[in-house]
Amino acid sequence: MSTSVASKTRGSGRRGSSRRWAGSAYTRRNLLTGLLFISPWLVGFLLFTLYPMISSLYTSFTEYHIRAESDWVGLLNYRQMLADPRFWKALYNTTYMVVVAVPLTLLGSFLCAVLLNLKLRGQSVYRVIYFIPSIVPVVAGSILWVWIYNTNNGLLNTALGWFGIKGPSWLTDPAWAKPALILMGLWAMGTTIVIYLSGLQDVPVSLLEAAELDGASWLQRLWHVTIPMVSPITLFNLILGVIGMFQYFTQAFIFASAQSSTAVSGGRTLGAPLDSTLFYSVYLYHKAFINLKFGYASAMAWVLFIIILICTVLLLRFSERWTYYGEEG
Amino acid sequence: MSGKRLLSIGLMLALVLIVSACVAPAPAPAPAAPEAPAAPAAPETMRVWITWGDNPAQLQELFNRYGEANNVQIQVNAPVDDEKVIAALSGSNPPDILVLSGPDNVPAWVGEGLLTPLDDIIAANNIDVEDIYPAMLAQGRLHDTQWALPWGSDTYALYWNKDLFEEAGLDPEKPPQTLEELVEYADKLTKVEADGTITQIGFVPDFSWSHIEQYVPMFGGYWISEDGTKVQVDSQPVLDALLWEQQFYTKYGPEEVLRFVASTGDYASAEHGFMAGKVAMMVDGEWMVGPNFIGGLAPDLWYGVAPFPYPADHPERAHTNTVGGTVVVIPSGVANPEASGKLLAWMMSPEIVADEMVANFNLPSSRKAAEDPRFRENEMFAVFMDLAMDPNATSQVFTPASTEINDELALVEEQVLHAGADPAPLLKEAQAKLQPILDKALGK
Repeated sequence: MSTSVASKTRGSGRRGSSRRWAGSAYTRRNLLTGLLFISPWLVGFLLFTLYPMISSLYTSFTEYHIRAESDWVGLLNYRQMLADPRFWKALYNTTYMVVVAVPLTLLGSFLCAVLLNLKLRGQSVYRVIYFIPSIVPVVAGSILWVWIYNTNNGLLNTALGWFGIKGPSWLTDPAWAKPALILMGLWAMGTTIVIYLSGLQDVPVSLLEAAELDGASWLQRLWHVTIPMVSPITLFNLILGVIGMFQYFTQAFIFASAQSSTAVSGGRTLGAPLDSTLFYSVYLYHKAFINLKFGYASAMAWVLFIIILICTVLLLRFSERWTYYGEEG
Repeated sequence: MSGKRLLSIGLMLALVLIVSACVAPAPAPAPAAPEAPAAPAAPETMRVWITWGDNPAQLQELFNRYGEANNVQIQVNAPVDDEKVIAALSGSNPPDILVLSGPDNVPAWVGEGLLTPLDDIIAANNIDVEDIYPAMLAQGRLHDTQWALPWGSDTYALYWNKDLFEEAGLDPEKPPQTLEELVEYADKLTKVEADGTITQIGFVPDFSWSHIEQYVPMFGGYWISEDGTKVQVDSQPVLDALLWEQQFYTKYGPEEVLRFVASTGDYASAEHGFMAGKVAMMVDGEWMVGPNFIGGLAPDLWYGVAPFPYPADHPERAHTNTVGGTVVVIPSGVANPEASGKLLAWMMSPEIVADEMVANFNLPSSRKAAEDPRFRENEMFAVFMDLAMDPNATSQVFTPASTEINDELALVEEQVLHAGADPAPLLKEAQAKLQPILDKALGK
């Protein structure tokens, strides 16, 4: 009691500072131990993420030479980008995927998760079945889908033929190439389903029961209880989906190389058909490793980084209106 | 009962034998392995990277011959991806020899200082450049310096299916002589159902490996000036070639042609459109004759190979063809340029060129190698040999902006053929865009 009075008389400022000092040795040791523990990650981050990022920012302002000194060109790469129709085409294609594929994936995986959360016999078997496509390597999966999409003998067009529909030429028709990729992506949405499933299992049973007692139908319970309760999961999946889709590369790249082994385009696959699958990262890769325009490619990477950053911030900002974190949140 | 038992014992024994048979060879190399380093001097290791390679084991075996004779261990890495090559060239430990599918990137890499000039190496190792076909040698020459040497080469010709010719009432032994005849034959060889669905097609100009590059010289020009300083994609030969190609699509509708082509099988499979008898004529390279393709996948196919037809009013252009293909370079910054040079000289020796190109079904770059009778064993392959040696054989022109120019040309071709676009304005646009890019790449 007396100490507290004494300290009060000494002034809060000094007391505060002495406490900071007192805590300092302890904190510092803690900090050091902590840093030591995360040092593998920290070194990795500094060396393999932060340094390359800064170096690519510098490169984006240069005309890059592999062995010689790079020439500083200021904003030239960025200006060229604005004037490059293929850059805009790539940005359009990528945005199309983000706008169409991400909501479709969220909706599809939520519905699947709801179904897989029902109390049914053999439910774990169904869960496994839905998750299996996600563990198929992207390369193998893409090649499989190239077969499925074969115009005349493919599974999809054969099935459509049973209903008298002449299926499109999925791989060579610019109008169908992106939907084909989206469909293939939906097939492998197991990871999103699993995240939703864990969210659904966290929805308090008491809430659902209370709603049921109040006479809410299954659909009303889904709409008024389940969906708000899993909204943080939706936000998480949405942000991951948007970031992932802006960087869409592997499937398109494999799809293109798988096509090049068919007679469709004979090794010429950049964005085929007719630039409809020219995605941002695919074009960036081509600029860097085929055209050797590393400066331009770095500038593209930074523009993409900023686009993703803005999208993420906007999503987080607007998410406050529709995400619900429970009472304590 | 005992019979059953005997059977099961027999089966067990058989299984044991099979398993041991599978395992048996494994211990054998084990004692052999330590012997190799026990040799007087530990063999140094050299790395050869090859960006193509349908048969990596064959390539490794070939280089083992050099390794054994020179107490060097050679590691062949084939096929290597583009980004790995770039990463290795910019790093401090590039491969000792790099073999590329084509010289497209060589001018750009020379500009970036990624390659060793070969003139001194050629002189020091007595590499006989006179023995190399001039059109092939020219691909690797830039600023009066040799940067790449051609190991082998490709060229293209017309393949035709004799069965389908006969069926269509054409003489199976008479391929089209002129471009006009080709159009006429193609029409006779195409089968269309009442609803527009194509079930067999005569000719698709950009089927599999054929593209505008193979046609422009036949129309009397090229899309880059001979000295490599001027882009001329809006010149008449390019326009004529595109218009000629386009008619094969407009006649049956691009959508139907694409749908038909997309339904044919993989390039290296028996379902490939030509091998399956669905595409009657195609332009493709000499490798198609070999065991990885028609020779192995459709050995009973009754077909022929002939020089690509010429325009009826330009018979002097008969046998025009563009040679180009695999080249060998030495990265700058190799550990031991002398060792690389010695290996390069060995690779360029006529016997090795002959052995490798015979094995891979490609054309040899060396005149002496070309005398090897094995190149004449297959009469179809011999057509390509004659084309490559023809006075009308030319080489492609490469510039530091080649990949960008090719990207643009490919896009124009796709738009013209597959979307029915008018080529003239597209070529004008491409010209306006590409000349500054080339100027800049040339440091103007």
